[in-house]
Amino acid sequence: MSAEATITRGADALGAAFDFKSLVDKRHDYARAWKAKTGGKVLGWFEPYFPEEIAYAAGMLPVRILARHEVDDISDKWIYSSCYPVRDMVNQLLKGRYDYVDGLVNVEGCQWMYNAFEVMMNNRESLFYHYLFLPDYTNAATSKDVAKNEFAVLADRFKGWTGKSITDADLDAAIEVYNHNRLLLRRINELRRADRPVISGSEMMNLVLADQVMDKAEMNVILEDFIKELGLRKPGPDKIRLMIVGSETWDARLEELVEAQGANVVADELDNGTSYYWNNVLPQEDRLMALALRYLGRPHSALKDNNYRRRPQHIFELAEDFNVDGVLLEKQIYCHSHGSDMYAVWKMLRERYIPYHYFERGSLLPEDETAARLEAFLSMLKPGLNHLAGWHKKFGED
Amino acid sequence: MVLQYAKWPEIQWMSDDAGWKEAKTITAGVDIGTTSAQAAVVADGQLAAYAGIRAGTDFRKTADEVMALALGASGITLERLSAVGATGFGKRNAAFATESLDEVSCHGKGARFIYGSEVTTVVDLGAQTVTAIKLYEWDRVWDFAMNDICATGMGRNIEMVCDLLHVPIGEIGEYSLDLGGKPDPEPVSTTCYNYAGTETMGLFRPEFRGDTLNGNEICASHLFAVAWRVLGVIGKLQSLEPGDIKVEGKLGFTGGLAHNAGVTRRIERELDTTALTSEYDPMLAGAIGAALLVLPEAAERGGVR
Repeated sequence: MSAEATITRGADALGAAFDFKSLVDKRHDYARAWKAKTGGKVLGWFEPYFPEEIAYAAGMLPVRILARHEVDDISDKWIYSSCYPVRDMVNQLLKGRYDYVDGLVNVEGCQWMYNAFEVMMNNRESLFYHYLFLPDYTNAATSKDVAKNEFAVLADRFKGWTGKSITDADLDAAIEVYNHNRLLLRRINELRRADRPVISGSEMMNLVLADQVMDKAEMNVILEDFIKELGLRKPGPDKIRLMIVGSETWDARLEELVEAQGANVVADELDNGTSYYWNNVLPQEDRLMALALRYLGRPHSALKDNNYRRRPQHIFELAEDFNVDGVLLEKQIYCHSHGSDMYAVWKMLRERYIPYHYFERGSLLPEDETAARLEAFLSMLKPGLNHLAGWHKKFGED
Repeated sequence: MVLQYAKWPEIQWMSDDAGWKEAKTITAGVDIGTTSAQAAVVADGQLAAYAGIRAGTDFRKTADEVMALALGASGITLERLSAVGATGFGKRNAAFATESLDEVSCHGKGARFIYGSEVTTVVDLGAQTVTAIKLYEWDRVWDFAMNDICATGMGRNIEMVCDLLHVPIGEIGEYSLDLGGKPDPEPVSTTCYNYAGTETMGLFRPEFRGDTLNGNEICASHLFAVAWRVLGVIGKLQSLEPGDIKVEGKLGFTGGLAHNAGVTRRIERELDTTALTSEYDPMLAGAIGAALLVLPEAAERGGVR
């Protein structure tokens, strides 16, 4: 099959030639159509440590609950002083935007997410709910056993709910699909290392978000076609290279603002970005243990890193590998996990003379203010001086 | 009665040396802020004229007015200017500008002009935002930090306090420092200027506090909170550890609140440093910086627009 013909197959599935943003926007239609076609259950999940493979093995479609920018006239009644994304999730869920979802799973982590989960339990009693415990001490001696046992409890609950036992073969198939998916995402992400990447930051972010609301087997076909299309693209112009680190961003608006200023986001360390697909499940006889090790061993989210402080090193390695000129540290207002973690990141960046700019945001990015910040930050990094002035060296030293 | 306490005097100045009009390259800068607007004219790198006015609700009209005031009766028209740089919150409304520039670069450049090359840390105290800027020894920004979303409107809030206390804004700083030898009272809320404003208004009501504060102390409490918040922004710029707030090199204030000793001296006290002073009005930093930043390219073109 020719490259062009293959690309058309992916384009048909999307309704537009690799318009991943459109797919994210139409995710509710997609899930409803999936449900009508398969008769399966759709499971909504909140937290980055949810082992989707188990739900997929049980025949479900796991979809991430994404915060959007919708007028919120509901959440004030139910949830007080949480971060904006969580309030927005409650707003959307209670308004029925996710009326096709049959159940919700939350994983031990952010307190605000748990609040949203509780609100839903109190308001939509007919849904299936499960709270999955996952240790904050991800590397403690018994953590993997605890996680494995919790995953087994989750699988049992799914069995009780759907009537279907999850066999080893089911888990193997799900792991195979998810591993392949992560591999494809990593392959695409690797292209961003190039001096002149063929993929923009906003396209990559929309792609990863679309990946989190679609059937992975179907997404894998699209990604394979997309990789072929990327091979045909000409390199983009030389631009200032930025990295985004911080609270989950839920959309690609920040990347778009960066691009509007003539720069590009070439790397990120976000739970809904590279951290989502960074590591694979290493197969072993005990499938649930393999999954436990994968999720405990993924790049730490801020929540799970307080006892280890491994994020700064991972962020540094990404910054080096992707040759970034500067880092945008963004934090959602009231994001307690990144609020307590951010200082360790900026300390590392400052010690290693990597330029960064830190700012707070709501789920709706204040565009004028953010544009003013970006403009000033990019002026600071403009080529001609940033590489020559030696910002890796301490000021005043040779 | 219309309260006038928050109103500061508008300014206009032009060089006595009329020779500047014959300069090869004349550039201008406008800084359209939320509360004030400034324009500066630079002739072959020398400050030739400037003006500063209160920003109205119509930014475009404000930009036109302040530029016209700076050019005054010089006979220099906008077309004669080799380049015009615009900066500030309302910069898009300066229709006559040839270039749009970011605030950080402009204030950094302007501060270097106002305070000289020894200034390395610039703190722009604006009506809407606070920006701390660290400069290299040469004219380039090393780092900057801005206040958070929920801490905007600081300068505007102080204007409100002036009206409430019936103290002219030019005197409010010294007024807050006149505590009869007593130390500063506890600051009002340092989280958000809306909270700070509300809490300050509460201090006027004796039943809210057993130890009723006089006007000077109320003002001190408010301005201490402002200084506290500014210190947080400076801390983001310099520190490796939370709470480790220090200034490397010399400090220079820009923006309207640089005139407010009640804020600047409290910052100096906490940082154990003395800020640089200058014959130039620190409010002009953004406009002067904009005029200077568009100068090199304009000069390269031979002064032709």
